[in-house]
Amino acid sequence: MTTLDARSPIAAEAPDNYLTFRRGLLSWLLTLDHKRIGVMYLVAVLASFFVGGVMALLVRTKLLFPGEVTWMTAEQYNQAFTLHGAIMVFLVIIPSIPAALGNFVLPIMLGAKDVAFPRLNLFSFYLWLAGAACAVYSLLAGGFDTGWTFYTPYSTNTTLGGVIPVLVGVFILGFSSIFTGVNFIVTIHKLRPPGMTWFRMPLFLWALYATAVIQVLATPVLGITVALLVIERVFNIGIFDPSMGGDPVLFQHFFWFYSHPAVYIMILPGMGIISEIISVHSHRHIFGFRFIAFSSIAIAIFSFLVWGHHMFTSGQSPLMNVLFSAITFSVAIPSAVKVFNWLATLYKGSISLNTPMLYGLSFLFLFTIGGLTGIPLAVLSTDIHLHDTYFVVAHFHYVMMGSALIAMIGGLHHWWPKMFGVMYSEFWGRIACGLVFVGFNMTFFTQFMLGSQGMPRRYYSYDQIEGMAEAFKMYHHISTGGSYIMALGFVITGIYLLHSLFAGKKAPANPWGGASLEWQCTSPPPHDNFSKTPRVGDCYDFSAVRWDEKQEGYVVDTEAHTASTKNGKGH
Amino acid sequence: MKQPETPFDDPAARFEAGRFGMWLFLLVLAVLFVATILGYLVVRIDNAATFVPEDAPPPPSLLLVSTVALLFSSVTMQRALAAGRRGDPRQGGLMVATVILALVFLGVQAVAWVELVEQNLLITDNLYAWSFYVLTGLHAAHVVGGLPPMLVTCWRAMHARYGPENHRGIAYTAMYWHFLDGVWLVLYATLWLGSLR
Ligand SMILES: [Cu+2]
Repeated sequence: MTTLDARSPIAAEAPDNYLTFRRGLLSWLLTLDHKRIGVMYLVAVLASFFVGGVMALLVRTKLLFPGEVTWMTAEQYNQAFTLHGAIMVFLVIIPSIPAALGNFVLPIMLGAKDVAFPRLNLFSFYLWLAGAACAVYSLLAGGFDTGWTFYTPYSTNTTLGGVIPVLVGVFILGFSSIFTGVNFIVTIHKLRPPGMTWFRMPLFLWALYATAVIQVLATPVLGITVALLVIERVFNIGIFDPSMGGDPVLFQHFFWFYSHPAVYIMILPGMGIISEIISVHSHRHIFGFRFIAFSSIAIAIFSFLVWGHHMFTSGQSPLMNVLFSAITFSVAIPSAVKVFNWLATLYKGSISLNTPMLYGLSFLFLFTIGGLTGIPLAVLSTDIHLHDTYFVVAHFHYVMMGSALIAMIGGLHHWWPKMFGVMYSEFWGRIACGLVFVGFNMTFFTQFMLGSQGMPRRYYSYDQIEGMAEAFKMYHHISTGGSYIMALGFVITGIYLLHSLFAGKKAPANPWGGASLEWQCTSPPPHDNFSKTPRVGDCYDFSAVRWDEKQEGYVVDTEAHTASTKNGKGH
Repeated sequence: MKQPETPFDDPAARFEAGRFGMWLFLLVLAVLFVATILGYLVVRIDNAATFVPEDAPPPPSLLLVSTVALLFSSVTMQRALAAGRRGDPRQGGLMVATVILALVFLGVQAVAWVELVEQNLLITDNLYAWSFYVLTGLHAAHVVGGLPPMLVTCWRAMHARYGPENHRGIAYTAMYWHFLDGVWLVLYATLWLGSLR
């Protein structure tokens, strides 16, 4: 028997799907269905992405002018980049892949009905909303200008009224993230159906698992740190206050103990998506499954040991600096293991250059640049020069935006037909991806130049920097121009995706030829995901996947698929 | 009975998953408390000579009373869980005792705070006072947060709802309660040692 049964889209008109399962606003707001919760997260995250993006454009537009401008004061500028950073980190990138795409895909890929704790899952979403509400309230209460890093003593001294509300917001968002992590770990450990062994689990789930471990172990430290900061602002005394015997550098240790691992909360799920995209769209078995799987775990472990590399200029002891520098280099190993395995997967694959794959290839390019430019920042001698310059800004944008966010958008295109049952315009998808890629590199590659020539980050004006103002102005102009091109790419993406919801071609169950379980249920999936527990084969074995003209999609011959796995063609 | 097809439909597997989730949640809280204690230790050790002011009162001896109350509440909680597992109706009385002991703990903590304030030790005075109020307050907040589930469990136990087939709720409550008990012992020891000049 193949999946060509009663539940395939052509066989039965309008089969049960999660979007039409129940109707009305309340059926969404009170839903316990992981798919609907994922979609709500997706809408919320994309809305925040829009706001954070507008802030970025404001910042970039200001920087077209070296000196003061009438339409944006230095204080407003500080608030704009702070807001951009805080929104993009806490409201967009951290929840984007795990909470939005992960929520939707994880139980289906696993062959489960839902996550382990559906109520906790919904609760996480409402915590996210509450955290976002705090952030909005902080703007009404006077805004905040601390940078997303909230460094003391500035954050305890600044007079703006929005600092406490946004810290409360970050605290709540932290717990939203923790509960998602707990849910995913338990789901993967305890709810795998028979036959779904650890080594048959798709690499995206391995990545989400490693991410969840970091979420659970690191985020409480952020929670208590911002809580102590709030107490310190309220009572004017605290352990970060040097006038009372406290230690402001302790804040930096606490903050980076979370925020360095948080970088991997952002990038690991992205790497997971890339493993799926590269393999499915080159129709070739992923190369080095176990290496990719275990490198995720290795990255999760290393992530806890390197936070001090953000503090080379903070007066840490030289021995600590050397140790943190050395351990930081070692993160390159598991990261490179992944990149080489992806490249080996592409080699001799029959690559479909459709939109998800274009984003996947963009990721490989941008992540490599992002990773390699981390080296001069991990080297003590060069970091002294590059610390707090645009070089750092460029580096972490290549990793957080060029890699994590690009992977998220690639994943969104990869699973869009599954999520909403429609195909988007491939033509416009490719064009938008091209614009984003070109715009991104224009924006941020120039910032490597700016930084290495000494342009400090977070500066409102640069006309006073002797001898460099003209050169900096040119780079800033290219950078801002690039950001507009990128914005155009995202606007086009928004338009064709929305358009597809109303006028898109109906998606087959398996438009790309994937072999993991989510491609075996209809698009969009039914409320219960699977009418009976699916049979689990090797999710990267494409030998039993064939094109079906009638469905205009691929079908997986489950019989042959599970058999070929047993014959040892899989792992 | 029909064999459940997936772990998701199997009550025993769901209970297993719930307990595992609870362990993870306790791990989260443990990290939170450990970070707080580490932060305290850093400033305490940085200021070894000056941290405790000459005239500062030591931690109130009332805390011994609250500690005993909390320890006993763990005992009654555990016995309530055992009774719940058997479906023994004594689960109700034992849960009521646990709730009362929890309230006694919170009450004594509050009195201890008042006592310190009356001795003119305010949170804004110095880091010694600050750390006492913040650490005990952080723990008390977790006890207060545990009260709603505790009351629900108590109400259900009073109606003898728990039995061999169904004792998930009381089991989770017990896990959380023992955890808070352990955290308190560590915190109390830390504060007491830290108050030594
Ligand atoms: Cu880092």
